[in-house]
Amino acid sequence: MLLRPPSAADRFRALLDDEWVIDAPLERLLYGRDGSIAEGEAGLVVLPETRQEVSACVRLAAELGMAVVPRGSGTGLAGGAVPLEGALVLALSRMTRIVEIDEDVPCAWVEPGVLNLDLSEAVRHLGLHYAPDPSSQAACSIGGNVSTNAGGPHCLKYGVTSEHVLGLEVVLAAGEVLALGGPAPDAPGYDLRGLVVGSEGTVGVVTEICVRLTPNPPAVYTALCDFASVRAAGEFVSAVIAEGVVPAAMEMMDEVMIAAVEQFVGAGLPLDAAAVVLVEADGSPADVARQAAVVQRVGRAHGARMIRVAADEEERALLWKARKSAFGAVARVAPNYYLHDCVVPRTRLVEVLEEIGRIAERHDLVIMNVFHAGDGNLHPLIAFDRRNADQVARVAAAGRDIIEACVAVGGVLSGEHGIGLEKRDYMPLTFNEDDLRAQACARDALDPAGRFNPHKVLPGAARCGEAVLEAGHLPEGTWL
Amino acid sequence: MSAGWNSSTRAPDAEDIASCVACGLCLPACPTFRLTGRETASPRGRIAAMRAVDEGRGEVDGSFRTMMDECLACRACETACPSGVPFGRMVEAARAQAEPGRAPRGRLGRRAGLVWLLPRRRAVMTAAWVAGLGAATRLDRALPRRHGTARPPVRLRELARPLPRAQGDQGPAAAVLAGCVVSVAYRPLLRATMRLVAASGHRARMTAPGGCCGALAMHHGHPEAAQTMARQRIAEVDGADVVVVNAAGCSAHMKTYGELLADDPRWAERAARVAARTRDVLELDLAAREGSVGAVAMHDACHHLNGQGIREQPRALLRAAGGEVRELADGGRCCGAAGLYGVTQPELSARLRRLKAEAIAATGAPVVAVANPGCAMQITAGLAEIGAAVRLAHPVELAG
Repeated sequence: MLLRPPSAADRFRALLDDEWVIDAPLERLLYGRDGSIAEGEAGLVVLPETRQEVSACVRLAAELGMAVVPRGSGTGLAGGAVPLEGALVLALSRMTRIVEIDEDVPCAWVEPGVLNLDLSEAVRHLGLHYAPDPSSQAACSIGGNVSTNAGGPHCLKYGVTSEHVLGLEVVLAAGEVLALGGPAPDAPGYDLRGLVVGSEGTVGVVTEICVRLTPNPPAVYTALCDFASVRAAGEFVSAVIAEGVVPAAMEMMDEVMIAAVEQFVGAGLPLDAAAVVLVEADGSPADVARQAAVVQRVGRAHGARMIRVAADEEERALLWKARKSAFGAVARVAPNYYLHDCVVPRTRLVEVLEEIGRIAERHDLVIMNVFHAGDGNLHPLIAFDRRNADQVARVAAAGRDIIEACVAVGGVLSGEHGIGLEKRDYMPLTFNEDDLRAQACARDALDPAGRFNPHKVLPGAARCGEAVLEAGHLPEGTWL
Repeated sequence: MSAGWNSSTRAPDAEDIASCVACGLCLPACPTFRLTGRETASPRGRIAAMRAVDEGRGEVDGSFRTMMDECLACRACETACPSGVPFGRMVEAARAQAEPGRAPRGRLGRRAGLVWLLPRRRAVMTAAWVAGLGAATRLDRALPRRHGTARPPVRLRELARPLPRAQGDQGPAAAVLAGCVVSVAYRPLLRATMRLVAASGHRARMTAPGGCCGALAMHHGHPEAAQTMARQRIAEVDGADVVVVNAAGCSAHMKTYGELLADDPRWAERAARVAARTRDVLELDLAAREGSVGAVAMHDACHHLNGQGIREQPRALLRAAGGEVRELADGGRCCGAAGLYGVTQPELSARLRRLKAEAIAATGAPVVAVANPGCAMQITAGLAEIGAAVRLAHPVELAG
């Protein structure tokens, strides 16, 4: 169903060059999806290039009564950028300028369309990088990272996106431009910056971001530890951290995932291992040596069959390429995947993984695991073929079972991908009515008309002050 | 074949389409996405459009045609794709679908070139002489120059010099593809190739000049013409121990002859055999002449980097010949030549041409190694545009 007024495209063409207003049906269809399996329908797509253009587009959308869905690279995994009911998609992929780099803080002001890895490449010559490194970092945008409060392997030590966003410029529903925070350490007043980070485009459009840059570590140790059982691998992860070591990253991959990824990278991953753990330690040479010794000792104690230490930067890059290609390699197993992002207490990791194994068996599905083991952030991927209706029904049921199993041990719904559309109706599993109402009130304070990315994050068409526990409606075919 | 496809020609394979999970890791690798920021100009978007037609939710319309035309078919997305989506053959099939509905004017010209001229090697040579005469008498300047400045550098004096059809009398039999553009516009390269292949222990025999491998027709929506040319070349080279090709686009294409003729019972076996024996000249164990090539900028043809995985070989060859290889700081982005791209997408092609020329000039090297005639024409034009005095040469010419 399209709710946009018929003349909408022409009105936007008065604001932007024709090329940047996308109206043809087949072209709009491309903006109906992101990296998830949810699918909606864009009423119209615009690609503004400046803050002024964003502001003008938002104002016009309000006048036309169109909802606005901001979009970065469209690599999101929870349907956050999927437009519903013919919303206006505001694609920020042309706003790719690195506006200013301040080596002293160090920080950078960037536009939202700058790609995560491009930023790190751009400051490499200064001995700096942008620390949060989602697996999709080659493709995902900083704006999208802010929107989902993205994580990444190295967030175990360095913290997730919210710890690296110092300031924001945000366009609100009436087109007004807000400046929140900045490089100064402690801004007075409410921390609205914190509200916007992770808000998944539901309060406004971020048009510029001041990000913290992190000095490159003087020494790095990267090792791939290979285990004969998932249990041994999981216990190894807990044991390393129990020794008082916080590695930069600890990533785990199971057997099915290893096989899919190895076909692409040819990194010599052990195809007969039940699980591998990729460990990285960084810091001063002495500190790294100490951490490496702990990894070696604890690894051996937990039955690591082999500990492959990257000999040089090239081998390190190859091992990381293997890890970061995992989601994309799933099509070697099945054409679609339904991905979860629960975080469970690290000490319960093994038991939850075993339960996921049982869930897979019960529903007769392939579930692959690749995840941030160090912080208990699981990524079970249920591989399936959406052309198989019976399988799709089992996928939905298995997804619910996984979430319930995680919540039962004190876990949460999402570590880094966001709630978007896919996890929205699970929110009442971890939040009560009061929690959800408070969140709805915070959102409505910035976007009183509910203009931005409606139907996302919070269940139902909840407004401030309403009960929000009933599941909301989704157009037919949007979701599994 | 399903839903919205025209059943009279090839269509993207449903299983190929299903092999994309839409993760988006191809986006940063795609030159046209980088230039425009539009999903419609990205590999993931193009596959989504193919999926829509395949499922009957979209049709092969003007939008579809533009999306496929904007693609360079550089296959950088294939190299970036963790799931191994075979994008190159998908976009070729999508273009075959897009071809019939094209406006008559552009379509007729393309048919004349791709379907009539290229499969006729004598006509190709005749056209070369006409172009050579035009250049020599400067009559060609009277012609309208519609699209950029990239064109084959045909010289009468070169055309008049016979090519060495056989060289070397020991070792495995090597059939060296003369090719269409190479045998009319880059004849010194053919001589160098024959010399080096023979010097590296082969009985080198050249195919007839003017004979096109069919890559251009395949890339631009004419698979039937491509099959005709594949049969012609297979008839010429079958029986040789190795088929040697000195143009990146042609070696990449000839390696797909098996797939191209898989449904033709009379040719399938021979096609598969020729494909298996096809080598880019840079994949041979070449005996470089010791020399002092000096500083040389390295341009990688897309059809070397992507699909064939040829990257180290030309560098090793140049170093063996005393070369100091200088890398371009553009991550191997396409130069925008891409077959007829300069004609179909003059604006995007010109932007890529300039970026490539600037990256080459920035190395400060007096010569740039280029191993594909399409790239060579494009880069020659680009360097002229920015006024950079850099000479072009194939690695084989520098090392042989």
